Amino acid sequence: MANMLEIKDLSVGYARKGLALENVSLSVPQGSIVALLGANGAGKTTLIRSVTALLDLHHGHVTGGSVSFAGESILGQPAHRLVRKGMGQVPEGRLVFKQLTVEDNLLVGAAILPRAKVREGLDSVYALFPRLLERRQSSAGWLSGGEQQMLALGRALIGRPKLLLVDELSLGLAPLIVKDIYKQLRVVGETLGTAMLVVEQNARLALEFAATAYILNGGRVVLSGPAAEVAANDAMKESYLGTTKPATAGAKEAV
Amino acid sequence: MNTQTLPAAPRAPSGTGLKQWVWRVVFVAALFYLPVVLTERAIFGIHLSNVQLLNLGLTQINLMLIAMLGALSLNYLTGCAGLISIGHAALYAMGAMTSAAAGTLWGWPFPLVLVAAGITGALTGLLAGLPSLRVRGLYFVLSTMALHYIVIFAFLQFQFKLFDFAGIPYKAAMLGSFELNTPIRWYFFLLPVVALVYWGLRNTLNTREGRLLMAMRDHELAATAVGADVRILRLKAFMLSSAIASMAGALYAYYLTNVTSEAFGISFAIQFIAMIIIGGMGSLWGSLVGAALWLLLPSIINGFASQAGETTGLVHLILVEDKAQLVQLIFGGLVILLLIFAPGGIAGMGKQWRDRIASKRGQ
Repeated sequence: MANMLEIKDLSVGYARKGLALENVSLSVPQGSIVALLGANGAGKTTLIRSVTALLDLHHGHVTGGSVSFAGESILGQPAHRLVRKGMGQVPEGRLVFKQLTVEDNLLVGAAILPRAKVREGLDSVYALFPRLLERRQSSAGWLSGGEQQMLALGRALIGRPKLLLVDELSLGLAPLIVKDIYKQLRVVGETLGTAMLVVEQNARLALEFAATAYILNGGRVVLSGPAAEVAANDAMKESYLGTTKPATAGAKEAV
Repeated sequence: MNTQTLPAAPRAPSGTGLKQWVWRVVFVAALFYLPVVLTERAIFGIHLSNVQLLNLGLTQINLMLIAMLGALSLNYLTGCAGLISIGHAALYAMGAMTSAAAGTLWGWPFPLVLVAAGITGALTGLLAGLPSLRVRGLYFVLSTMALHYIVIFAFLQFQFKLFDFAGIPYKAAMLGSFELNTPIRWYFFLLPVVALVYWGLRNTLNTREGRLLMAMRDHELAATAVGADVRILRLKAFMLSSAIASMAGALYAYYLTNVTSEAFGISFAIQFIAMIIIGGMGSLWGSLVGAALWLLLPSIINGFASQAGETTGLVHLILVEDKAQLVQLIFGGLVILLLIFAPGGIAGMGKQWRDRIASKRGQ
């Protein structure tokens, strides 16, 4: 299976703060969900920012390594162009356009589609998240957290991305809703072949739905592999799934 | 994603019922009859007093129409694109300067002068919008303030080098051989211009780019995440807004027939911000209402103050001696009340009202 996203030995630093990522390698194959797990400050968001070219905005810079998307090296390309090349993004905190209606939010996302495909795009998003159809005329600001996340996903998916990056999918959401969303994402991956990289806090849920998982700690990949193996790893259990006493140093020993 | 076909989704009632049409026709008819009423000071042959006409004249209406252009263009920039600017007086001045050069000095015809003003306005907007690529918020406001002082300095030099302290005179505004020499002629020229700009901006907001613009206003990062090049969007919005403001400046100069640099002070720029706050940020029709209130309310209050002044002793004294201040005071008070009770401006109030009716109907 081809890798949609391929990160090799990526190192990233922020101004005067040292390295945030150190020699991170990661790949996202077509049609599958890859979970990126780790505690706060582990470097998950930094990794997403390096891929989406939003690092500059936060005064960070890539100090080494490479990132390629659909076989093409993308470091240095402007963020909006990457989106047009098929990199869908759901930023942390969802960031729906609160003053616009649900449908207008989707139409904003559809601005990268040819005009003739817009209607079809809307229909497919509504089919995926019927809740959005019910609320299509409401301002996005009035939606519940779960609906906003669906809207943010829909806004990214309507452009038919080859790769979807989701930062903090379950942030502030009820586990049941998150489960629903994951199920729909799995459908998307299976039918459209969309590759997905999902940053998660909720390790248990992520490992249930993802095919592969990477655990970041202190800016390094400390554990990676098929989700089932990662879930079965003792150190992983200790530090993230909480089956035994929490031990923060546990994950590092797993290297 | 399986693309099943959906049943025709319920659209919000778009309001093209018979009743709506009747109201529209009445509204347009009123717009056509208004100048007649204000010129003849009578409605259907019945004479009206000044107070009954709210102390309004057609000149005030015409100045209001010109201000509406400024308010519309600023609301597009500030309310829809999220860029706060106090450079609108400078853009008016730019239009006035362009028409002085092209119209008064080189003798270009009036319509061509307007086009030229639009072009210099757009170019100024392009230059003035460049800081928006780097700076945000209050820092950007400061950069538009710098624009203001630079343009006003240029205007002063221009006025004194080529004309004199008495100001710049403008030629008669000719549309072919038809001269705009009466308020009523101006009214019927300005009304379609305002309607056209309103309609044009509204349609722009309904395109993809318009939606991206509003998305950028709501959240810049998220707009980038859906593929918007926010830098280009900002520059385009600034250019469009500036072109309209500059044309409004040209119309303003032609209407007044003589302007000096003093006409375009910083308070002139701030009044447009006041108009769009009162009318409603991001609402185009709100800008029209805001401009109307800002231009007409002082003279309406003035009229009533004069009327009341004829009656009683002490009140008479206050009203006559300090009338100017009193009018300002009442006007300021009304604006504050409005901001407290309708923070979304008149347009926001209207929306709340509609939402309440809709929720009572259980929609």
